[in-house]
Amino acid sequence: MNIRCFQRNFSAAFPPLVPLQLPSPMETHLWYILPDEVKNSALLNQYSELLSPCERESVSRMRGDQLKKRALLARALVRTTIARYQTNCQMNPRSLRFRKNLYGKPEVEWRNEDNFNPPPLHFNISHTSAMIACGVTVNVPIGIDIEEKQRRTKNNIIAFAQRYFSPYEVKVLTAISDPEVQRQEFIKLWTLKEAYVKALGKGFSAVPFKTFTIRFRDTTMRNFHPPESSVSEESDIVVESSEDPTDPANNWRCALLEVAGSHYGAICMEKDRIAGENAPPKLTVWKTVPFVEDVCVSGTDAVLVLGGMIEQ
Amino acid sequence: MASSTALSFNFSTLSTHFKQNQAPLRGICNVNSVSLPSRGIRPGSFRRLRVSCAAKPQTLDKVCGIVRKQLALPADSSITGESKFTALGADSLDTVEIVMGLEEEFGISVEEENAQNIVTVQDAADLIEKLVEQKAA
Repeated sequence: MNIRCFQRNFSAAFPPLVPLQLPSPMETHLWYILPDEVKNSALLNQYSELLSPCERESVSRMRGDQLKKRALLARALVRTTIARYQTNCQMNPRSLRFRKNLYGKPEVEWRNEDNFNPPPLHFNISHTSAMIACGVTVNVPIGIDIEEKQRRTKNNIIAFAQRYFSPYEVKVLTAISDPEVQRQEFIKLWTLKEAYVKALGKGFSAVPFKTFTIRFRDTTMRNFHPPESSVSEESDIVVESSEDPTDPANNWRCALLEVAGSHYGAICMEKDRIAGENAPPKLTVWKTVPFVEDVCVSGTDAVLVLGGMIEQ
Repeated sequence: MASSTALSFNFSTLSTHFKQNQAPLRGICNVNSVSLPSRGIRPGSFRRLRVSCAAKPQTLDKVCGIVRKQLALPADSSITGESKFTALGADSLDTVEIVMGLEEEFGISVEEENAQNIVTVQDAADLIEKLVEQKAA
């Protein structure tokens, strides 16, 4: 008898989360919340009850209500997202425990109990003032980063790129004459580089931005995919290490999206050698207000694949 | 905020353990400018004070100014050495921009490993002073 099943009725006030199967290997799930759509105080109260005392304290230390709300929703999103995935039985979002790996990357701390096999679930979150997103994979690490499309830098873009990006990336950006397009390409590059570092999970100092290059590469594999699937005809995105540019066996897949018309989102995940390298990963995206509404937005205008071999 | 119930959500009561941040003495301390009444205190006894002193107040002020500008914080918002960048709403792009602004302001170069360890405004000020000293040496 699995004692954990009794936690199903942990609170009469919470409607159950719609349960889901874990993503299959080479599949990515992406969940996002738009904080401006969450205004109900009772709902925010419910979310705060999911948090650990430590998390609640962190939220309270944020300056101002907007930042507090964002921090609260981020924790609520992570907890409810992970709790959806049915393993032995429904998980309680409140009882999930988290820790950081050696380098500070958050991960789930599964409890070591008899008859409980922790799911091989990986997650990563990112947030802006207008969106909080959580990516989920199995077996392989994932990193995601989102940025508002309209994000402006205080510093000059080329000066910034010269300081932090690789020489090739600086060259690509410098070649763009339209300042608005240049700014957009900068933001896209930034999210991709962030997502890669977060996927690696070894901290930013382990792989400084200058030591790797994100390259958009035209693919010749277009006729590999059946016509029905909405595979992007855009370029593949590869990561090249500056330390060893001749090594093409990069183990990481990147994809670039436009989400909700307002954000660029980058996803980076390790290739699963067992699952096979040729099939493009499948992406499913939900817009959610946990306990209230989940809307699958894959294949709609809310999710546009801008680059990378990924299908919805 | 629209609310359909009588319950109003008060963010500041989220944690019963929340304590007010106190302004640290570290950032204010500067042995050279302290004048003490002469009570037979020997110069040697200042040594312990000096070790626990961190960056000069001018450095801290400049850092606060750069942070305030990058994060577009109102002039009356309080930033102290204890303020955490994340708590002020800085994301990773903000943090990198702040570091770049600090490099330009102080004429230093911050390595990625050091930048990663900057959690509070005080951390940034301390690192700057260390790098400025190294540069002068």
